[in-house]
Amino acid sequence: MSTAVGRLARIELRLMTRDPLVLTFVFAFPVVTMLIIGGAFGTAPNPGFDHVNPAHWYVASYLTVVIAATGLVMLPVHLASYRERGVLRRFAAAGFPRWSFAIAQLIAGLVTTVAACGMLLIVAAPVYGIPAMHDWWRVAAALPLGAVAFISLGVLLGSLLPSARSAQAVGLLIFFPSFLLGAGGPPPQVMGSAVRHVAGPLPLTLLTNAVREPWLGLGPATGSLAAVAALAAAATFAAARRMAL
Amino acid sequence: MSERDVVTVRGLRKTYGKRVVVDGVDLTVAAGEIVGLVGANGAGKTTTVECIQGLRRPDAGVLRVLGYDPVTQAARLRPLVGSQLQDSALPDRLRVAEALDLFATSRGRDGGELLEQFGLAGQRRSVFSSLSGGERQRLFLVLALLNRPRLVILDELTQGLDPAARRNVWAAVRQLHDTGTTVLLVTHEMDEAEALCGRIVVMRAGRVLDAGTPAELVDRHARRATIRFSLPDLPAPLLQEIRQLDGVRDVELSGAQVTVHGDRRIIAHVGAALVRRGSVPEDLGVHVPDLEDALLGLLEREPAVGAPVPAPDELAGGRR
Repeated sequence: MSTAVGRLARIELRLMTRDPLVLTFVFAFPVVTMLIIGGAFGTAPNPGFDHVNPAHWYVASYLTVVIAATGLVMLPVHLASYRERGVLRRFAAAGFPRWSFAIAQLIAGLVTTVAACGMLLIVAAPVYGIPAMHDWWRVAAALPLGAVAFISLGVLLGSLLPSARSAQAVGLLIFFPSFLLGAGGPPPQVMGSAVRHVAGPLPLTLLTNAVREPWLGLGPATGSLAAVAALAAAATFAAARRMAL
Repeated sequence: MSERDVVTVRGLRKTYGKRVVVDGVDLTVAAGEIVGLVGANGAGKTTTVECIQGLRRPDAGVLRVLGYDPVTQAARLRPLVGSQLQDSALPDRLRVAEALDLFATSRGRDGGELLEQFGLAGQRRSVFSSLSGGERQRLFLVLALLNRPRLVILDELTQGLDPAARRNVWAAVRQLHDTGTTVLLVTHEMDEAEALCGRIVVMRAGRVLDAGTPAELVDRHARRATIRFSLPDLPAPLLQEIRQLDGVRDVELSGAQVTVHGDRRIIAHVGAALVRRGSVPEDLGVHVPDLEDALLGLLEREPAVGAPVPAPDELAGGRR
């Protein structure tokens, strides 16, 4: 890849490997929390978890935690730091095509997500086992759509927030409630109705539904999948406009 | 607007909120020229060149750069312009050699040669965050020249460089000029502007105050010269003669020290008078006006409304 997008994406991926701390949150946090909470409720099917194995419930949920950590925590800080320090101005002045940086970020974010999801499954397999996928094509559609949606949200946040510090604060502020209410926390069946009401429309809840329900055979989650697709389209459009060099 | 003009700016205006940063600037840079944009901090120099580069959208005015509109045709223009920006950086962990690969296009020069020329050949594997301020500046200059640009815009070119590195960079700019490349140089270092620029545009509070060759600006705004010497027993007739010399405006006496102020002709006349009288002092000193004096003269005569007169070191970045 010798195009501007290819050069930028390649460099971005190489730079990520040189800054392991940046990747820690995306790679280590989902794995560690999945190991803890996956073992907290045992492996016997449980009515609180729609009568499935709670450990499998969390394995099927945590791929979306990887996606959210990439989009809401890693990318906004990275991009806001670039903006703050004038790196983007330098790319713009050097004549990189208008959309090249946004596309390169999307590619780098997707590669990171795939690698982190792979690592999560590799760790989960010997400990809890990987649950059988009932409706694989819906899962296969939801994961990339969700990744595009959250990476674009991350690019958008990075383009709007004035500094790396503010991006970190806002990113974490969005990530943790989304994580607890929409993916890694208690299942909706045990939440109070008010909390369930708040959790329901959160992007991470919708994405987790769109992945977990067809994966575990709990339902097609067509509405959630459509919402994630719409979010991906809107966020990508907005991010590309904001991040144009 | 001539066909030789590489940059043409007419009536450029840019505001940030209610603050007018550039206010009706006209600027022309012809092919092959080195033009300096000078003025104190906050004069609007950087905003002007950012509009020329298409990095900022002007509120009003007409801009043509290499025949393109920098706002609507930025994609075509930017590859033809080499830019060294004032406040910018590269990713911290990007290596020097990787930066060359990242920024080089198919028209790119041999990056290794440029690294050699600017004393960075030994830093190929160094990451950006480990480079000193001077090394970073030189790397930015290498990147600005990498793709054989037709116009090079250098903003605060030698900020942070030691004297030897400055001379090296100045030599590189002269080489660019020799190869016919057009250079627009933004600086508040008057010695740099005087050493490099064929023409200088002086800005203040978003406006152009004057433009011309360094010699023309000095001639228009700093005709004065000062001569200092000590003569323990200054003969009264000599003092009288000096006072009446052509061009002398004022003579100050402080003990044995004599200070003569006047236009530049007094350098010849006072020297001749001293030689005639056989009183050639050991400590004879002459201050000839330079571009910095000219700029100070210009700014003192034309204070901008609401703008503070800058301190001399703010204009010159400290005399070296």
